[in-house]
Amino acid sequence: MDAVERANLERQRRWTKDQKIGEGTYAVVYRGRELATGRKVAIKKIKVGQFKDGLDMSAIREVKFLRELKHQNVIELLDVFSSKKNLNLVLEFLDTDLELVIKDRSLVFLPADIKSWMAMTFRGLEFCHRNFILHRDLKPNNLLIASDGQLKIADFGLARDFADPGYKMTCQVITRWYRPAELLWGCRYYSTAVDIWSVGCIFAELMLRTPYLPGETDMDQLKTIFRALGTPTEEDWPGHTKLPDYVPVGQFPKTPLRDLFTAASADCLNLLSKCLIYDPKRRISAKDALNHPYFFALPYPSHPSKLPKPAKKESGIPLEEVDGNTDMSGPGPGVKANPPNKLKRKNSDDLGGRPVARRLDFTK
Amino acid sequence: MTAALTPDTQPVASSSTQRQPLYEASTQYRHWRFSPEQLVHMRSTLNVDAVSAIRDAFEADSLGSSSSVSFLSAEEEHLLVKLYVGKIAQLCGHFRFPEEVEATAATYMKRFYLKNTVMDWHPKNVMLTALFLATKTTNHPIALESYASHIPKTSPSDVLDLEFLVAQSLGFDFAVWHPHKALWGIWLDVQTLPDVSIEELSKAYETAHGHVRAARLTDAEFIYTPSQIALACFSLASPTLATAWARAKFPSSPHPPALEFLEPIKEIILRDGSPPDVEAVREVDRRLRLCKNPEKIPGTNAYIKKQQEKDRQAEEKRLRKAEAARIAMEEGDPFGSELAKKAAEDLDDDDDDD
Repeated sequence: MDAVERANLERQRRWTKDQKIGEGTYAVVYRGRELATGRKVAIKKIKVGQFKDGLDMSAIREVKFLRELKHQNVIELLDVFSSKKNLNLVLEFLDTDLELVIKDRSLVFLPADIKSWMAMTFRGLEFCHRNFILHRDLKPNNLLIASDGQLKIADFGLARDFADPGYKMTCQVITRWYRPAELLWGCRYYSTAVDIWSVGCIFAELMLRTPYLPGETDMDQLKTIFRALGTPTEEDWPGHTKLPDYVPVGQFPKTPLRDLFTAASADCLNLLSKCLIYDPKRRISAKDALNHPYFFALPYPSHPSKLPKPAKKESGIPLEEVDGNTDMSGPGPGVKANPPNKLKRKNSDDLGGRPVARRLDFTK
Repeated sequence: MTAALTPDTQPVASSSTQRQPLYEASTQYRHWRFSPEQLVHMRSTLNVDAVSAIRDAFEADSLGSSSSVSFLSAEEEHLLVKLYVGKIAQLCGHFRFPEEVEATAATYMKRFYLKNTVMDWHPKNVMLTALFLATKTTNHPIALESYASHIPKTSPSDVLDLEFLVAQSLGFDFAVWHPHKALWGIWLDVQTLPDVSIEELSKAYETAHGHVRAARLTDAEFIYTPSQIALACFSLASPTLATAWARAKFPSSPHPPALEFLEPIKEIILRDGSPPDVEAVREVDRRLRLCKNPEKIPGTNAYIKKQQEKDRQAEEKRLRKAEAARIAMEEGDPFGSELAKKAAEDLDDDDDDD
């Protein structure tokens, strides 16, 4: 066996797949473990054989950038190995994402909670930008939440390095609701400001608990933006009418953010408005956002561990199964699949009603 | 762009108050930096191991057949790789790929042969795959069909067959930092210095750029940082301007540290930066045809044996898996019992759904 194959096999043996937890267009995601430590991981298996151009671009981008980025607020790629014609990415296991948090109606967000999520998002994004990487697909669904509450930027399938000046990039990036006007008008030279616009939309969504600018088509997206923030003038955004796909979409008046975000503080709205400035050159940078007074004013950001979180799916397990020697952090179905244990549990339940900790009885 | 101009001799002091330079977090810095001695050692070990493995393969093919074979030495292997690294530039010119693609493909080639031997994988094939992979990793993708059709006697599968192996050999470290970018940074910086004639600077930049291209044929990138190499190239072109730049960058020190270790880099570039003698390489390539690993050549006994062994292992695995499933069924437990789990233990469940 070649040295390269051997090294790969060694890496592969460090991890085990437990259960399929999701399937996307080009990948299957498993929950798995690091064998030596029992640490929970997610293993994203990318099928390679099916692409006529070989390794797929999104897989390449994801691997390329995550290999380089190590930061508390960016998802960690722990390992990469191949098995037959599949590429396996071992990622840290994350419980939920910001979209699920926003949608969970049973959760109440305090201003300090929103501040905390925003701080973590900006920290992660500032690190990407400092490393000359544009994410190009920020949305609540791609901001994952770890069990300790830390927010992590994930899904680098559309990311790219900063282009050299004068080098054209595609404007078909970023999910529509989070896409800035310059991209909708076909701007081919852009920079970190596109990600900041997305963060602005996420910021607003955290306060509104519903997507802020949900356009139905690309054209409607522009209208939706202008209806909310007013049509930009030449003074707001010099030169925007010269963009390749520029079309006028009607005149809408500017309404103060205050009208919609009635409960927000002045600092909060000031930062939000700076993320949603039309002129990309004037839009705030991630670094400046982190130094914005919003983050230094009371209330201070909530500690990540104190942030609201959707109830875990595992908590659906009846109490009787939680009792005793079952390991809640381990794979759930494994517990269910053990008939002898289950029987024992039933017995003890018959005796007591409310489960009590079992003790070893040496008297018998 | 002008990261880490400090010498690499000191260990990285990761004090908590000091922020780690970006370059030191890169996979290039962490995984692909070696001393010249390490490089020699790696290549000779690789060569010795390869020769012994291939000798065995020859013997397996037909007994006593390895005694007449003259295997390549590590230096000869390196010569062949260098020739094909040079060919990347020609191919990129033909496709009009940006310099980023060319430089990345060259790095992939060189990294690949720190882990593999030319006697297993011929550099011509690896070059085609490395270049194709580089177009994708640098965000300049081209359709495989059109790529292969522009290269004589090459089918899409010739390119794709090795793609996984190349990616694996690179350890999936796709991001590469290049001296030509750092040189661009110096060129921009120097323009802001007072009393610099733009003609003189342009000429120096062009010459320096030529040295950067030459450096691609050498081991410089394994030993020094891109910015160090760029400054050395610039200094080869114009020592005066290079010194002026360094003094402007480090105004407080009379002897800017950046200038201290340029000489060994220049030496490497001048010594190793030209393409190898074609006649010499032709001789190596001729011998390579006779000492290629028969396990990698379809049709030979050794190849067939290797394939049979692979098939046998796969079959064994299938049987063990079926056995595990049978035990589980018998116990009437669809989730599998301890015993079944044991039987299935060292099987990876990878082929469940492909």
